[in-house]
Amino acid sequence: MAEKGGNGSSVPSQAVKYSLKSATSNRASAKGKDDSSGKPKKARKVQFVSEGLGDGIFGFSSGGKVDSLLNKLNLGKGGKGDKTGKAAKSSAPKELLPLELRFEHELPKHAKCLMDCEATEILQGIQEQMVILSEDPTIKIPVSFDCGLQYAKNGIHYADRASVRRALEPLTQYGVTEGEICVIGNVCPETPDEVFALVPSLKAKKSKLAEPLKDVLAELVKLKKAT
Amino acid sequence: MFLKVQLPWNVIISAENLDARGLMLQRSILIRLLDDFACKKATKDLGYFLAVMTLESIGEGKVRQHSGDVLFPVVFSGITFKLFRGEILDGVVHKVLKHGVFLRCGPVENVYLSNLKMADYKYVPGENPVFLNDKLSKIGKDVTVRFMVIGTKWLEVEREFQALVSLDGDFLGPVS
Repeated sequence: MAEKGGNGSSVPSQAVKYSLKSATSNRASAKGKDDSSGKPKKARKVQFVSEGLGDGIFGFSSGGKVDSLLNKLNLGKGGKGDKTGKAAKSSAPKELLPLELRFEHELPKHAKCLMDCEATEILQGIQEQMVILSEDPTIKIPVSFDCGLQYAKNGIHYADRASVRRALEPLTQYGVTEGEICVIGNVCPETPDEVFALVPSLKAKKSKLAEPLKDVLAELVKLKKAT
Repeated sequence: MFLKVQLPWNVIISAENLDARGLMLQRSILIRLLDDFACKKATKDLGYFLAVMTLESIGEGKVRQHSGDVLFPVVFSGITFKLFRGEILDGVVHKVLKHGVFLRCGPVENVYLSNLKMADYKYVPGENPVFLNDKLSKIGKDVTVRFMVIGTKWLEVEREFQALVSLDGDFLGPVS
């Protein structure tokens, strides 16, 4: 079967191995520390680095100590950047916080992101045809369809899905990207602080966005279905 | 995140399925496309294939010399699901281990949340082990948790993704 779909599935020789390097790996227990007062980010830095294929899931060893577990998992850039632990280590402080949503670079051509509510509408439409489709044994439905539909349906319920996109549209003039808009629509935050906490890439535009966000979020709340 | 994608695809129709009647040929092409799409399951670039939406165009067929099959280049739009770094998603816990929990998020079964990335939660062993924090917020089986994706991994052989997630940050954690 000829396959074409984005870049195909050719996995480069740089298969993936993750090792986690903690800046505080000398600290025996990373759990429940009181001194960090709920801010583990200060004490612990993690990097993603793609290197080799790990054994087992994420290269974890079952029953290993926390430290060896941490050392096996090296989280670094994850993107195009560094491929070696060294490079990741040196750039770690810059890379770690905050983790920003920047998948526009990773989106293939001719791909557009959809909010969960938009996906629900599309998938539900297909599901309604499912009875007819299932009568024909030659028609196959992807195995992920049900999981995808279920996930979409479990998201925020809006009474008027079309209006959600319209309500969020004004944010684009402030440089908010499609992906960020989708995250806001999916999460339906209640306050601008929640938006900036969940979408740290918007913090740089906080002063510009704070007011418009309040209006947009108020609009979203109106569109939310009462549960 | 759900993606709407427009993809070129090569659909191969075997000689016995070729029909002079245009509509039947289109039907064969569509069924073959749906079959190929369903078998593909997922790709590294686009994520999990969920559904074909529309068949945008069917190009001119080319006969394959050795088999007699005909190859039709088509363009279709479909919907996929993929996890991205930095994205905020909800997942449902399906396995609780001492060092973390596994969640399911859409078609992704292996979303791992390490205990190191759930600040203040402590493992409570037992018949139904859970992670509990001081405010008695629970992360256990069947609990829905909002997390941030910190990394993803594509497994070529299994054709699936795994993800590492974190609760480091405000407004993340179990959702009611």
